Amino acid sequence: MKRGNQYYGLLLRGAAAQAWKAALAFRLRSFFVILAVSLGIASLTVIVASLEGANNKIDELVGIFGPDAAFVTGGSTISRAVGQRTRTITWNDVRTMRDSLPGVYIVAPMSFTGKATLVYANRNFELDRVMGSTENYSEIWNWPLAEGRDISAEDMTRGASVCLIGTKVSQELFGSGNPIGRTIMVARVPFTIIGRLSERGISGGGGNMDETLVMPLSTMIQRFNQDRQYFRMVRLKFTDPQNMDLHAGNIRSLLRYLHGLGPSQAEGGEPDDFTIITALDVQRFISMIKGGLSIFLGLTALAAICVSGFVLANLFYISVSERSMEVGLKKALGAPSLAITMQFLCESVLLTLGGALLGLCWGGLLSLFLRNSLFSIELSWRVFLCSTLAAVLIGLIFGLRPARKAASLEPISALKGGG
Amino acid sequence: MNLFAGVTNAKSPVVRLRDLIRNFEQAGNLVQVLKGLSFEVYPGEFVAVQGSSGSGKSTLLQILGLLDRASSGLYELLGRDVSRLDDDELSALRADTTGFVFQNFYLIPYATALENVLLPGLYSGKSQKRARERAEFLLESVGLGDRRDFLPARLSGGQQQRVAMARALFNEPALILADEPTGQLDSGTSSDILDLLGRFNREGQTIIMVTHDSQTASRAGRRILITDGIIESDELL
Repeated sequence: MKRGNQYYGLLLRGAAAQAWKAALAFRLRSFFVILAVSLGIASLTVIVASLEGANNKIDELVGIFGPDAAFVTGGSTISRAVGQRTRTITWNDVRTMRDSLPGVYIVAPMSFTGKATLVYANRNFELDRVMGSTENYSEIWNWPLAEGRDISAEDMTRGASVCLIGTKVSQELFGSGNPIGRTIMVARVPFTIIGRLSERGISGGGGNMDETLVMPLSTMIQRFNQDRQYFRMVRLKFTDPQNMDLHAGNIRSLLRYLHGLGPSQAEGGEPDDFTIITALDVQRFISMIKGGLSIFLGLTALAAICVSGFVLANLFYISVSERSMEVGLKKALGAPSLAITMQFLCESVLLTLGGALLGLCWGGLLSLFLRNSLFSIELSWRVFLCSTLAAVLIGLIFGLRPARKAASLEPISALKGGG
Repeated sequence: MNLFAGVTNAKSPVVRLRDLIRNFEQAGNLVQVLKGLSFEVYPGEFVAVQGSSGSGKSTLLQILGLLDRASSGLYELLGRDVSRLDDDELSALRADTTGFVFQNFYLIPYATALENVLLPGLYSGKSQKRARERAEFLLESVGLGDRRDFLPARLSGGQQQRVAMARALFNEPALILADEPTGQLDSGTSSDILDLLGRFNREGQTIIMVTHDSQTASRAGRRILITDGIIESDELL
């Protein structure tokens, strides 16, 4: 007596309906399976969501850095740490790059001082560093102004005592008041605020980018006794961002020529005495961190999922032996082995799906806590899909053996055992 | 709606046994539990298989119910030689042709009386249309129309057995197999259950009931007495 496909459809529907009843009837088992699976799914949610967050962070950081920008600092990252880099970029380098690099439209030297205390009336705020920039800071750094105006060419030539401030600085000194036109003391030198930069938040390095103050480079050199010959760094922008590697090569060749280092280190020349960073480097750096993160989180999630799977399998083994009467009865009523297997698999998948739902809730809670960190967690439909798929797989894989065990019970002995 | 639509051809036997033998291996020895049974059960009969414990009557019922296989000999259920069927075919045949009533009722504890009656419908492959109506009708006919949403734990033993009997009828089986149906019940309730079986039979249902108790067996229309795996007597009552 062979059954048709329609029969198996009916079996599956019956199995699903009974799985629902059994899940409600054996509440304690359901609770533990859902809890265990939710922890596994939560860790999976966190990994997928944080990788998505990292991808978005890369885009965001590249946007902040400027996809068309390059950055040259004096000294080599290979031989010296950041603070100890020698100053090797000169006014002459800046002029030559501006005149002869193909495709460049901005070459902006930068400098900065160390810690400085800002004072307005009775309020103090300490900054780690104060930046010195040429005119058009906002355009050079792709950083729109929230209010006021940018540093002008005239400010540069006059060495005017004006400054731009970050949103955090504005809040600390003026609360919600308008900072434009007010005069503050920067390391005991009075400066008039001409503009406020828009809010940016946490930077890649972990610092708050809104804790910043920018003054004209000429003013900084005069008032803060900075080196007139060398610059800390130079920012360049190019018209065609798709050729950044080529531009970086041009900058390197030019600076090596200007600094008399020989054609290249490989051909017996000196090592670079400068470092070039482009948006591509930023991207590579974050990708590297992301790679490490995904291995670490991936292993953690795998372990958590395995643990939840074993909890499920064990609880189901116990359940199968406790319910041998039910299994024996159903077989006596003519249930084929497949129907029994389907019923227990439906039960386990139902519970793991419940676990996935709860796990997504944990993930959502966690994302609230991690919202402001470097790798923020972002829940998306992809996270939802991955978690649901993983839950179904856990249910099928770890539920299969107990379900097969139930299906292989002999009706007679199962009934005697349940008597 | 007919309670007993499974009752069909009055000529050919529902059950036909020829030299049925069942051996078990026990500690390396071959123990013959059924030593060559031959009999027929025709549609509409109510047969009691009576025997003391160890006589082989339960083994016989399990073979008749397709839960166990004979070691040798012939068993035809509705004209089909069951020894040629694989496990899934046996399941299908069991779902479509037999109904069980057990000593321990065996109701699913987390399903209501109505859901328990509906259970065989999951596996019969027959149309599910009006299944609920039929289950309600069957519960009504065993006198439990007002208990359909009760869980088994809230029913008395006799009520549980009546739910089990309604369940046995659900797929319109050609044959009902009852294994000590009154073994767990007091004498008053036992009598009710046997009355109900008798009523099923009067309306045309073929029944084979296994019991150790001669008084219970005397409620049937025919008694097959089994001792040590052979038929000692086979008489109409």
